[in-house]
Amino acid sequence: MRRKRVCFVGYGSTEYSRKSEEPLLSYYAQAIRAALDQTGLKKSDIQGFSVTTQSSPDYSPHVAEQLGLELDWVLNGDYGGAGGVTSVRRAADAIEAGHVDVAVLLGGNSFDKSVFQQRPLEYQRANYVDVYGYGGPNTLMALVQRRHMEQYGTTLDQIGKIAVTQRENARLNPQALLRDPMSLEDYLKSRMISDPIRLFDCVMPCSGAECVVLASEERARSITDKLVYLVTDAERINYQVSNMLPDKTTFGIKVVGDRLFAEVRRDQIDLFELYDDYPIAVLIQIEDLGYCGKGEGGKFVGSHDLSFKGDFPVNTGGGELSVGQAGLAGGFLHVVEALRQLRSEAGPRQVKKAERALVTGIGWLSYGRNLGTTAGLIMERRA
Amino acid sequence: MAEKSLPKINKIDQPFWKGAAEGKLLIQKCRACEKLQFFPRVVCTGCFSCELDWVQAKGEGKVHSFSWVFVPRNPAFKDEVPICYANIILDEGVIFESRIVGTNPQTVKTGAKVRVVFQQTASPEIKLPVFELAG
Ligand SMILES: [Zn+2]
Repeated sequence: MRRKRVCFVGYGSTEYSRKSEEPLLSYYAQAIRAALDQTGLKKSDIQGFSVTTQSSPDYSPHVAEQLGLELDWVLNGDYGGAGGVTSVRRAADAIEAGHVDVAVLLGGNSFDKSVFQQRPLEYQRANYVDVYGYGGPNTLMALVQRRHMEQYGTTLDQIGKIAVTQRENARLNPQALLRDPMSLEDYLKSRMISDPIRLFDCVMPCSGAECVVLASEERARSITDKLVYLVTDAERINYQVSNMLPDKTTFGIKVVGDRLFAEVRRDQIDLFELYDDYPIAVLIQIEDLGYCGKGEGGKFVGSHDLSFKGDFPVNTGGGELSVGQAGLAGGFLHVVEALRQLRSEAGPRQVKKAERALVTGIGWLSYGRNLGTTAGLIMERRA
Repeated sequence: MAEKSLPKINKIDQPFWKGAAEGKLLIQKCRACEKLQFFPRVVCTGCFSCELDWVQAKGEGKVHSFSWVFVPRNPAFKDEVPICYANIILDEGVIFESRIVGTNPQTVKTGAKVRVVFQQTASPEIKLPVFELAG
């Protein structure tokens, strides 16, 4: 494959040492600083970030969080000795695709046996969160929901409507584990888990899997006549990470939305598959995507029909809240439901006009902020 | 039988826990760019400097958000529910996740002023910084 617009612009190295127990992160930091010094680039110029190592067994967003990097593209370069070359190749893809202009690719090792042989996320949670008896993600999202309710007057009726409408959609989805009718009263009366998060705000963990297949346009034409194109996609990693007083009620989806809607108009989207680990997360994403102002999500939800028949269809198969969350398949469920709708294969819950869908994924509730990882894409059916 | 979670103290955050044991709330300050940060890290999230000093926070702040936890992730905490888990904004300008003690669901409000107290854990050397309503 011939590259058209990718160049190497600089590098940074650290001293090497035998059996140093210096933390791995301090090696990373020194190497990045050297590269920034050489190139004159600033920390905020770094848009893409990749880590290749065997000694910090953790996801690259967590490593980036420790370094205070807010990003548009992130990669775990876990390809062993090929990691240097393969990271370059993947970053080149991202640059050619226009996702980022500057990517920093790191490799490193240290014999530090203490903190960063542990997973950075586990370390942070174990020492500063878990010791207080928190309730896991339910508590961390409860903190976000309370802020939203108190700051903007968002009500439980408005938040509950999201769960209730998704249940109506799920009743027409044979894959959904939760298909019993659910009223707003059922929602409000459900058991308190971590106030204000109730039982019916939470997903039900389950087993299952989802799969998505991509192909080149040319190849795709020989496979199907139902062509669904990936139109545009974006991500924001560690939104507000180096801000010690972050706005808990705005997700990185705000940045993602700005990128997506640079390519497609907001009113061109027919249906929304928004990652729904909690109803409040759906409400906040509707705001962050710009369908209403910040703080007006409650009103928006109250005055629109979110069902598959409605004027603003959201999670047309019931979402994770009613289908169930099969671990990390949860992030694929939304992609697959969007494909069903755009291919007119959604049966009784088919959205009438389903040409363009917006799909999001959010993950990892972070210390003091909200979501560590956020991403979105728009897909389009073309004849 | 599960035990209540305790921090796994390491060489990076050892000064923080030593401070807590002595009744001091320490946060990190970057020597290069003067940024304050919490939780403790190896690297300044503002400028990648690894030269981080520890400074003592006053231990006062206000409640930014809170949740009454009825189902703790670690079941060993069940005997304490509901637990008031909170985000506190310290006067120094950083968010601190902790617990508010000695109160009940009727009296905790966002914006309430709080101050740190240090709670003895099952380990004789470890005290946890928690917060109580300040008047
Ligand atoms: Zn700094």
